Amino acid sequence: MKKKSIMSLSLAAAMLLGMTGCSSSETTAGSTTTIPNQIETTTAPSETEEGDKGLGYEFGLGTTFHSDEPVTYTMFFSDASWYAKQDTWESEGVFKKIEELTNVHLDIISYDSNDYMSNVTLEINAGNAAYIIPKIYDDSAFVDGGAIVPASDYVQYMPNFVDFYNKYNMADDIKTITRSNGKYYKFPGMLEAQALNYCFVIRQDIFKAAGVDVETLEKDWTWETLLETLKTVKAYMVSQGMCSETDYIWSDLWCGGESGQGSGGNLLKVMGITYDVNAGWAIADGMRYDQAKDEWYFSPITDEYKEFLKMANAFVEAGILDPETFTQDDTQATNKFYNGETVIMSMNQSQFGPCMQNCDEMLGAGKYELFLAIPPRSDKFNYSTAGNVRLENGVMVSQKALDDLGPDGFIKLCRFVDWLFYSPEAYTLIKWGIEGETFEYTADGGKQLKEGMYCGGLGYSMPEGADGVDIRLKWGYAGGNFWYGHTIAEMSDNYIPQIKRMVSSNSENRETPPLAPGIAPTEEQNEQITLIATPLIDEVNAWTLNFVIGQKKIDEQWDEYVAVCKDKNCEGLVSLYNEIYKG
Amino acid sequence: MKIKENTGYKVFLVVNTIIMILISAATLYPFLYLVSQSFSSEKAIISGHVGLIPKEFNIKTYVYVLTKGDFLKFYKNTVIYAFVGTILSLTFSSMLGYALSKTEIKLMKYLTPFVIFTMYFGGGLIPNYVLVVRLGLKNTIAAFILPMMISTYYVLLMKSFFAGTPKDLEEAGELDGLDKFGVFIRIVLPLSKPIIATMTLFYAVMYWNNWYQAFLYLRKEKWPVAYYLQTIIRGQGANDQDAQSVATNIKSCAMVLTVLPIICVYPFIQKYYVQGMMLGGVKE
Repeated sequence: MKKKSIMSLSLAAAMLLGMTGCSSSETTAGSTTTIPNQIETTTAPSETEEGDKGLGYEFGLGTTFHSDEPVTYTMFFSDASWYAKQDTWESEGVFKKIEELTNVHLDIISYDSNDYMSNVTLEINAGNAAYIIPKIYDDSAFVDGGAIVPASDYVQYMPNFVDFYNKYNMADDIKTITRSNGKYYKFPGMLEAQALNYCFVIRQDIFKAAGVDVETLEKDWTWETLLETLKTVKAYMVSQGMCSETDYIWSDLWCGGESGQGSGGNLLKVMGITYDVNAGWAIADGMRYDQAKDEWYFSPITDEYKEFLKMANAFVEAGILDPETFTQDDTQATNKFYNGETVIMSMNQSQFGPCMQNCDEMLGAGKYELFLAIPPRSDKFNYSTAGNVRLENGVMVSQKALDDLGPDGFIKLCRFVDWLFYSPEAYTLIKWGIEGETFEYTADGGKQLKEGMYCGGLGYSMPEGADGVDIRLKWGYAGGNFWYGHTIAEMSDNYIPQIKRMVSSNSENRETPPLAPGIAPTEEQNEQITLIATPLIDEVNAWTLNFVIGQKKIDEQWDEYVAVCKDKNCEGLVSLYNEIYKG
Repeated sequence: MKIKENTGYKVFLVVNTIIMILISAATLYPFLYLVSQSFSSEKAIISGHVGLIPKEFNIKTYVYVLTKGDFLKFYKNTVIYAFVGTILSLTFSSMLGYALSKTEIKLMKYLTPFVIFTMYFGGGLIPNYVLVVRLGLKNTIAAFILPMMISTYYVLLMKSFFAGTPKDLEEAGELDGLDKFGVFIRIVLPLSKPIIATMTLFYAVMYWNNWYQAFLYLRKEKWPVAYYLQTIIRGQGANDQDAQSVATNIKSCAMVLTVLPIICVYPFIQKYYVQGMMLGGVKE
C-alpha cells in the first residue's frame, strides 16, 4: 500500500512537472524577437588580448580565413545531375582551392540534388549530421529536434555576416525567419536587394513584325495590356499562316507536371504577387499581412484574388494561354517555344543561355530575336515580382559540430563559414574561380572568363565542338551550393546585356512590395497551422486551377468557393495568425 | 450444342486475341518510342517529329553515354551487386526455406510466424538506417545487399517447394551417412532446380532494379545504374533557379541500356516466372 502511494505520488509529481514544462513553452508564444537592428562584432568568450594571438587561425573582415593547423570539416553537398560533381573538383578544383587558401579540408558528403533534403533529414534525424549543412530553404523540420545550433547565437563572432547585416539593414528580413524563442537557426543567404529572376522571354522578331514594341510597353504594362498585345500578335501570326485560330501562342512551363506542384506554379505566383495575393508556388498557407489594419488575412478569398483569377482565365478564354500549361511537363512547354509554336514563355535568367542555344539549334542562329520582358503589373499594384524578403536559402551548422569541436572550435568553424559564405573573396572564388587562371578583370572592373574557358552556369555555354573547359563541369565553380546572396554588383557581374537590362528595368519601373512582419509560432501553433492549412490550400489550389482553365465559372461559383474555404476553417487560421502576431 | 460452343469459343478467342494485341501494343509502344528517341537527334526530339521510327538516325548518344561520364562505372556496380547479392540471397534464403519446411522440428512451428511477421511489420526507416550506420556498413556493398538479402515471400515459396521433396529420399541419404546439411546440398538442392532458377531470376531482377538502398546508404561512386538513371530522369528541381535538364536522347539511351540485359534474358526464362509462382504455391 505504501509502495503504491509513493508510486502514485511520484507519477503525480512527474505529471505536474510535465504540465509545467508544457505551460512554460506556451508562454513563449508571440514573444517578441530579439533581433537587433545592428549587430556588434564581439570576441569569443575565451578570447583575451593574449588569447587572440594564440587562436590558431586568422579571420576578419577583408582577411582570408586561415587555420594554422590543417583541419577537416564535414559538409553535406547537393549534387546536381546536370553538372554532377567530379573527382577533379577535389583534386584541382573548387575544394582544392578552398583548402589551399584556408587550410580547411572539406569532407564532402554528396547527395543527388533531387534527394538532397530527404537525405539530409534522414542523416540529421539519425544523429549523423555533417558539421556544415548548406542549401537549406526551410529549416522548420530541424529546429525542435536539437540537432541544429541556433545561428543567431553565433553571428556576433562572424565579421563578414555582421558587416553585410549592418550595411544593408537586414534586421526586418531576418525577423521573418526568427522562431518563437527569438532565435534563427540558419545563416541565411542575404541579398542587398532582390534581383528579378523570373521574367518572360518573348519572340521579339514576331512581336516587331506584328507592330508591337515590347520594350516601351513593358515599363507600365498591365496584364490586360499583355493580353491585348498577344491577341494582336496572334492575329498577325494567323494572317501569315504561322498558326491557326485554334492554336495557342503561349504554353507556359513550371506550372504543370512535377514543377507546378498542383498549385499553378510560377505563372500564378508571378501574377498573384501583382494582385497582392498568394498564389501558385507562393500560395504557402494563403496568409497575407494588411499594413493598414495591422493584421493578417486569408488572401485567396479576397476581391483581389477574384480579379486575379478573372485575369488569368481571360488568357485561356481568349485562346492565348494553353490550358495544358497546368498539366504538361516542362520539356513539353520549352519544346513548343524552341519550335516556334509559341512566342512567349516564363524564363529564369539563369536559363536564358541554354534557351538561346536551343533556339539557335531549332530556329537557326540569326533567324530569331529574343527579348526578356519584366512581368506586367495589375491596375492596383505596381509590385515587382522579385519578392520583398531579401533572404536566400541558407546554411545550418549542426550540434554535432559543437559537441565534437567544443565551444572554441565551434566558433572557429563559424568563422570559416563566415568567410566561405559571406566574404566577397570567397564569393568570387566560388563563382569565377582563380583570377588569371579561369577569369580576368576587364578595364571597367568587370569580370570575364579567360579565353578557352566557358561556364554554362554563368551564361557562357561552350559551343558544340569548341576546344575549351567548362569551369563548372570540370572544377565545380559557379555551383549552387555556395553561390547565393551578396550585393547587386556581385550578383550581376556575370549578367549578359539582355539580363542586365531586364533587371534594371524591373528596378526602375516596379516597386518592392511592403515587407510583412515575421510571426513566430510555437511548435504547437505550427502544428495547428499545418493542420488547418494543408486541406484548405489543397482545396484552394484545386478551385483556382478550375477557375483559371474555365472548368468552373468565377462569377457563378465564387460564393460557393468562399463557403468551401470557410468550411475548411480559413477564419480559424486568420484568428490563429493574429493571435500569434499580437501575442 | 457442340457447334454453338465452338462458335462462342472462337469469338472468345478472337476478342481475346484483339485485347491481348492492344495490351501488348500499349505496353510495347513506350519502349519502342524510347529506343527510337535514343537513336534520334535531340533536335528531332524537340521538334516532336520522332515516332516509332528514329529521325536523323545516329549512334552518337550511345557513344557519348558509354564513353563519357560515369554510366559504365554505375553499370559495373550494378552487375557486381546483382551477382553477389543473388548468390548470397539464394544461399541464405534456400537454407532458411529448407529449415522452415521441416515442420516436424518443433521449433519451426514457432519460428515461422516470426519470419512471416517481418512481411507485415518493418523496423521503420530511421531505426533501420541507424542500424546499418552503426554496424559500419554505410557506403559499402553490404549496405546495398544485406537489408534486402532475405525476401520473406521468396523464402516462403521455397519453403513450400522444399516441403514437397520426398522424405524417403532424404532418409535414404541419411542412411548413407549424410548429415542434414549434406542431405540439403546433395539431395534436396539438385532436386530443386526449378525453384532455384526462379528465385535466381527474381532476386537478380530485384537487385538490378533496386535504387532505394543506394539512395539511403551509398555515396555516388558506389551507385547502381538504376539510381543514376533515376537522377538523370528527374533531372532538375522545379524551384532551382539553376536547373537545367539532361538531354532527352541521353535519358532515353541510358534507360534502354539499363533495361537491355533484363529484356534480353526475359524471353528465355519467362516461363519460370509463371512456374515459380505455381511451384511454391501448390502443395500436393
